[in-house]
Amino acid sequence: MVQINNDARELAIKVVYYGPALSGKTTNLQALYQKFSPEVRGRLMTLDTKDDRTLFFDMMPVFFKTEAGVKVKLRLFTVPGQVIHESTRRIVLQGTDAVIFVADSRRSEAAATLAYWNNMLKNLEANGLDYRTLPLVIQLNKRDLPDARSEEELGDLRKVIRPPMVPAVAVRGEGVAETLWALLSLTYRSLDRTMRLGERWKITEREFLARVFDHVDLKGTRLQGEAPPK
Amino acid sequence: MSPAPSFLQQKLPLADLLDLKAFSEVCQSFAELYRVGLKVFDESGNKLVDVKVGNADFCGYIWTKAAGREQCVATVGRVKSEPVDELARPVAFQCFSGCRYVVQPVLHEGDSIGRVVFGPFVPDDLKELPATLTGIAPDFDATQAGAYLQKIRRVPQETAEKILKHFMDLVDVLVFTGHKSVIAARLHIEAVQESYRELEEKNRLLEESYQKLKALDRLKSNFIATMSHELRTPLTSVIGYSEMMLEGLGGTLSDEQREYLGIIMEKGESLLHLITSILDVSKIEAGRVRLVLGDVDVAQLLRDAAATVLPAARKKRVQVTCEPGTLPRLHADREKLRQCLINLASNAVKFTGTGGSVTIGAELLPGEKLALRISDTGIGIAPEHLTRIFDVFYQVDGSTTREYGGSGLGLAVVKSFVEAHGGEVKVTSTPGRGSTFGLLLPIRQRPEPALTPSLPLHPVAPA
Ligand SMILES: Nc1nc2c(ncn2[C@@H]2O[C@H](COP(=O)(O)OP(=O)(O)O)[C@@H](O)[C@H]2O)c(=O)[nH]1
Ligand SMILES: Nc1ncnc2c1ncn2[C@@H]1O[C@H](COP(=O)(O)OP(=O)(O)O)[C@@H](O)[C@H]1O
Ligand SMILES: [Mg+2]
Repeated sequence: MVQINNDARELAIKVVYYGPALSGKTTNLQALYQKFSPEVRGRLMTLDTKDDRTLFFDMMPVFFKTEAGVKVKLRLFTVPGQVIHESTRRIVLQGTDAVIFVADSRRSEAAATLAYWNNMLKNLEANGLDYRTLPLVIQLNKRDLPDARSEEELGDLRKVIRPPMVPAVAVRGEGVAETLWALLSLTYRSLDRTMRLGERWKITEREFLARVFDHVDLKGTRLQGEAPPK
Repeated sequence: MSPAPSFLQQKLPLADLLDLKAFSEVCQSFAELYRVGLKVFDESGNKLVDVKVGNADFCGYIWTKAAGREQCVATVGRVKSEPVDELARPVAFQCFSGCRYVVQPVLHEGDSIGRVVFGPFVPDDLKELPATLTGIAPDFDATQAGAYLQKIRRVPQETAEKILKHFMDLVDVLVFTGHKSVIAARLHIEAVQESYRELEEKNRLLEESYQKLKALDRLKSNFIATMSHELRTPLTSVIGYSEMMLEGLGGTLSDEQREYLGIIMEKGESLLHLITSILDVSKIEAGRVRLVLGDVDVAQLLRDAAATVLPAARKKRVQVTCEPGTLPRLHADREKLRQCLINLASNAVKFTGTGGSVTIGAELLPGEKLALRISDTGIGIAPEHLTRIFDVFYQVDGSTTREYGGSGLGLAVVKSFVEAHGGEVKVTSTPGRGSTFGLLLPIRQRPEPALTPSLPLHPVAPA
């Protein structure tokens, strides 16, 4: 649930990277941390207490101010993939505004991925979220590995799965910005629908994306040149 | 409409992000190192840290003048809360006294959550005390003030800004680590609460099904009690009329008719016995057993029990010995004791093969107690079954039901009846050699009505 502070003219948006253990969620945040310039992002916080395995997640804040003086804060979270972290997962998922499902695109991981997908649907529902209206992007990570699904297979998948799918090699930073772009674009549209972001807060989708991606190193990404000028 | 925002989304005040005591110490040593005062405010203007270095005399002197006090308060107010850009860079504030401050907001996740005020210091471009200071009072002693000013560090503004920046880097790390530990702690609490909620929910469900089971169990006991009673009435008629016919009340019978009637009676009686046991058990389960106490001649009861099982024993050529001797009279429920003894004696005969023997006896024990014993030389009971045989419907070997008959209720009834008397049942047994069941009974019953102990809760079906 996007947090709105009308007096302070502030929006706080929560984005969660969900997916099986080791699918590359942390790697996504680390890559983004490298690509973002420090004026728009805070430190990457990694909570990884070895002795107490219930506490386990990453968080990175991204923030900007719009032309109209609205402060927008995006908090990017990863949730723990391990089964034992079920309760942390639910806490982190609470009140989320958008989800990136990071899947390991290797064939050998298909079963685990499907299990997590279902687990996510269950947890979203437990948190009163509807996955059909929630901004959701699937990242098919680890495209560099030999066992990864072929392009044709992905094409077939695209026909049956509604959420956009973005291929990535997170370790090399490939597809990471593209995934976030796709998600933020959906998020903007969803927020514009529910709370008239354009009309009431005077933020256009173009500005929303530009405020973030103008500060992202887009070298070598498919977004290069796509980022609209401010 | 929306649920309370998770703590992960909450904005935290600076004081919650810092360990104030440790932070004050850091500020103290930092300020002393650079010999410049240092103040830290949160976003609402609350002072969290205040370290004064060198300016006490100078400012103290200004405070002795009314106009000085007034302007000092105004300056401090500006330094503390005049808005500054939310940017990570210092802003200079000029004091009317000629001193200067550099101020920088504490930024966290793009928000300003407080500010650090570094100063006052004397900018190195200050040549002499400004008119704004010397003019505050006619009797202002510039020489004195100038001397006090010497105690405040003189430093170029640029240097002060560099020092402040250095300090801000430190604050940034402290705030980040503070935030991290706050989140870890809160998350931990939430995780524990979450597990607690889950457990509570499970407990509730368990309790619910337990209550349902209990209700069902009561229903079952009541049902059985009523049914057994209803079954007994016609059955007694069947037995009674068979008996009358056998006695010739319905006319002369052929030998064949006599034999058949004998079988009807015998089977009728064993059915009646079974129904009675079930009724007893259901009464015990429903907690409705009442003892009818009276003086009981135990020796006679023992002889009766022996006599009852004698025909069956003769049939399988098992020897029954009963030597009770002289025994004190017992204050007890005669019918129930009789039933106990018959149950034990018929078990003894039932589980003893041809050529074996059953011994029924009694012994006075110290402490006003009487032990009634029934021993046999039968098949015995393996140790792992010893505690279970008193459970309702438990039989050591399910298949023995075929061979020995029985319902698995006898011992359960014995145990409850004996315990209702404040006594206990003991059993010792060696498989293949035989068993001894002992009833330990107090000779005098306590006056208060004995409560029926309930049967073991989970009856076990024969394995
Ligand atoms: N080959 C390959 N390995 C990756 C890729 N993305 C992540 N990994 C590796 O997968 C492992 C788990 O990644 P991590 O981000 O910690 O997974 P998380 O549990 O989802 O946070 C690490 O060893 C990463 O280096 C990728 O695109 N290709
Ligand atoms: N004297 C005995 N010798 C060997 N086994 C016995 C003896 N008395 C009882 N048992 C065992 O305990 C079980 C339970 O006894 P009881 O409750 O009287 O039920 P039942 O005799 O109707 O089977 C019997 O089935 C039998 O396995
Ligand atoms: Mg991780």
